[in-house]
Amino acid sequence: MFDAATDGRSYLRHRAAQFRAQVARRIDGSLTEDEFRPLRLMNGVYLQLHAYMLRVAIPYGTISPAQMRGLARIAERWDRGYGHFTTRQNIQFHWAALVDIPDMLDALADVGLHAIQTSGNTVRNVTTDAFAGAAADEIEDPRPWAELLRYWSTDHAEFQFLPRKFKIAISGGERDRAVIPAHDIGLRLRRQGREVGFEVWIGGGLGRTPLIGKVVRDFLPAADLLPYIESILAAYNLSGRRDNKYKARLKITVAERGLEVLREEIEAEFLRRKAVFSSGAPEALLDELRARFAAPRFRAPDDTGYEIALAANPSFRAWSDTNLSPHRQPGHASVTVTLKAPDMTPGDCTAAQMRLLADLAERHAYSDLRIAHDQNIVLPHVHRSELPALYAALRDAGLATANKGRITDIISCPGMDFCTLATARSIPIARELADYVRARDLEDDIGPFDLRISGCINACGHHHLGHVGILGLDRAGVENYQITLGGDGYEIPSIGERAGAGFPYDQVVPAIGRLIDAYLGLRDAPEERFIDALRRLGAAPFRAALYPEAADGKAAK
Amino acid sequence: MIAPDLETRAARLNARYRNHAAVQVLRHALADPELGRVALVSSFGAESVVLLHMLSVAAPDTPVLFVDTRMLFPETLEYQRQIAAALPLTDIRVIRADDAALAEADPDGRLHQRDTDACCDLRKVVPLERALSGFDAWITGRKRFQGGERSGLDFFEPEPPLRLRVNPLAHWRPQDVAEYMEENALPRHPLVARGYPSIGCAPCTSAVKAGEDPRAGRWRGAEKTECGIHFIGGKPRPVAPLPAEPVSAPRPSAAPLPLRGAGPGPLSKDDEMTTAAPTAPARQPAAAAAGPAAAPADAPVLVRDDGFHPVDTAPDVALPPDSDPAALAPCLGASLVAVEFPAMTDGRGFTLARLLREQGFSGRIRATGALIADQYAMARRVGIDEVQIPAELARRQPQEQWLARADWQDWDHRSRLAG
Repeated sequence: MFDAATDGRSYLRHRAAQFRAQVARRIDGSLTEDEFRPLRLMNGVYLQLHAYMLRVAIPYGTISPAQMRGLARIAERWDRGYGHFTTRQNIQFHWAALVDIPDMLDALADVGLHAIQTSGNTVRNVTTDAFAGAAADEIEDPRPWAELLRYWSTDHAEFQFLPRKFKIAISGGERDRAVIPAHDIGLRLRRQGREVGFEVWIGGGLGRTPLIGKVVRDFLPAADLLPYIESILAAYNLSGRRDNKYKARLKITVAERGLEVLREEIEAEFLRRKAVFSSGAPEALLDELRARFAAPRFRAPDDTGYEIALAANPSFRAWSDTNLSPHRQPGHASVTVTLKAPDMTPGDCTAAQMRLLADLAERHAYSDLRIAHDQNIVLPHVHRSELPALYAALRDAGLATANKGRITDIISCPGMDFCTLATARSIPIARELADYVRARDLEDDIGPFDLRISGCINACGHHHLGHVGILGLDRAGVENYQITLGGDGYEIPSIGERAGAGFPYDQVVPAIGRLIDAYLGLRDAPEERFIDALRRLGAAPFRAALYPEAADGKAAK
Repeated sequence: MIAPDLETRAARLNARYRNHAAVQVLRHALADPELGRVALVSSFGAESVVLLHMLSVAAPDTPVLFVDTRMLFPETLEYQRQIAAALPLTDIRVIRADDAALAEADPDGRLHQRDTDACCDLRKVVPLERALSGFDAWITGRKRFQGGERSGLDFFEPEPPLRLRVNPLAHWRPQDVAEYMEENALPRHPLVARGYPSIGCAPCTSAVKAGEDPRAGRWRGAEKTECGIHFIGGKPRPVAPLPAEPVSAPRPSAAPLPLRGAGPGPLSKDDEMTTAAPTAPARQPAAAAAGPAAAPADAPVLVRDDGFHPVDTAPDVALPPDSDPAALAPCLGASLVAVEFPAMTDGRGFTLARLLREQGFSGRIRATGALIADQYAMARRVGIDEVQIPAELARRQPQEQWLARADWQDWDHRSRLAG
């Protein structure tokens, strides 16, 4: 395995050296720009608006304190002192110089991290639940499987030049916290009697054609995972469209060719591949991986201090109410540190914050850290007795914002401030919206609310899955924002529907303000969340709030 | 005051904006004091609306020069009016040849039948040159992918004696153009849908058929490929040398780099624009290439783990990338199967080779087409034995670059899992 063993580090160094040589060969003319582009992309190097961007994988979101400090060093040495956590458990450095990138890759290899296959038409970073190994509702920790998939997919010769990028997510909980139906392949751990296996979803994805995936196999015995996944990829590699990049994702192949046709091809190929993978799942390797991801030795100290602090400190209590998640081990909780404080750019994290989180993880949280897909940091294992001190340290650093899952816990892509693809700004909208809600002190009143913003149709902010989604477009040189209602990435997977005509930049916050007011007036109890009210009442009353002129006009006529 | 040394200025500007996107080049160029007074020249043709839109966002008061040769399609004139109304450009100037000159040189309007170059000169080149006399630089929409003399375009190009040309879209691919129009909901020239991907004057422009170059409809049947306005101030001069398959080409040692390999650079299918006829990927007929008559300098090369070899036998079967994976049985008895890779970004051949091996094929598999040295290990890992490459690639990526990937058995994670 290449993230812990010496053997793994040397593989990462070998890859860094390979990229260094590719940069040199680009400069001496051995590689043309067209040839170099896919090579740099499969090493996570994008050409962005201001500079090259390096996208580093945080595989299945798990990162050690030493690795976090490694990211902090890179941010300080080669970037502007911060990094940006994305919605796919990656971190992006937006200010890299091409000539420095081989050195950055070496520095990553030093701490067992890499940027391999974080871009390009290949199998991307495998993502999973940030609460893996800690969640109370977990069937099995998905990370040994995620690591197996990463090992298998890295440098997989057959699948480096697919029709388009390919995203795999895996979830181990009863509740899906990895957005399984929005991936090319989504895997849900299942138990059938004593046997563990996977429910396999294919053909989901967001972007310009958002589609919820479909179940291609109800129960795949765990041992058959790799040959089955290979069969899906082989069918896609041959039949995915290559004539139009907007029709090239697996979701379109499934939609156009039909799930049944693909299933037949996959199952036929699976029989052949299964014979090749004759040993089934490499059990010895899996045992090694399970040992690596084994839970820490949980302690059980006295936690009366926690109860006292809860009673004495209302802000600690508020933070505990919002930012803690249930843990399978009694006396423990998982802590979410949101990177969504006032004046913070969603997902941005400074080197100082990274170091602090690394220190706090060591001091209070069994040295474990996770990067969540909602651009927050999770300390998965914290004993209650540690919470008051942890909270105080986070508060002093401005990282104890009690807003997990609240309307100000906004998911946002970098938008036009950084990204060449973006057609509109997203970060300033996120900030202004959060400011607006805070100025009216509505965060707690509104309660759970999933708000997401994408700065272009590629939907990196996963706006389709927000209870309310905002999509920034360019209409003849002017930013224009569409609002979608009713998306859900968790309980009832659904794609938000467009509410109506878009709004100019300066009308977005007032429109969301009207939407909030309508919700507060319409809900039947404070416990009824926005999404529940929307499901109960339908979109009409919320549309009317967004477009009062249209509603008035109708009334007048 | 503009620096006198045009070449130096162009080189300096190219270095400064090397890594910039088109819109940045445009925006910065308009504000860069080194450029001086700038105008955009537009034909309001098939793809012109992209630059016009960009300009209308970046600097709508920049002069836009539109040459009306009075031989244009009525659709072009209508489209010009439509765009002028839709975009907030404030200084569109229509340039025409003066009546006296027309009356003298082309009284019957049939000069184009006798001498196309003279007609272009009269109606386009001379009037534009006159209109440009007050400018230090002009912006064009030319792109490298348009090929021919445009293949070596840089962002900034000297136009002796004094002017610079700015080509913000030089590095755009057809797909970039299509995407930009789609993203910004820009109106299309009505003739594009009727088979005219490149539009000039009515008498000298015809529709192109599927498979033809998008500019094939310009001066069809004549050697002529450019009207001449892009030669103002000098004869055709691609900035980066783009010789047709140099016989003893030394490896390019420094910038400027060749854009693609010499020869018809196969574009990946992702790069093809829906409105334009796709560039058919060049395929090497393996048998012909293996013939003894082939000149050694142009002969393709076979790459194996121990280096370069001449192409020996011809394959029994060639598998194109769209081969039916369920119908590979007839290949299984062959001794040499060629798996074709029409573009380096088209990875179907990797799966086809794997399927052959899975089904028990034990003969030789040869990859042909567009693989590069960096893909050698991938080819070997899926069961391909050798890669056939054109002579041009063998020169550009010599043996040692391929041998560097002969270590394909190291770090092959998948093979450790699949046993």
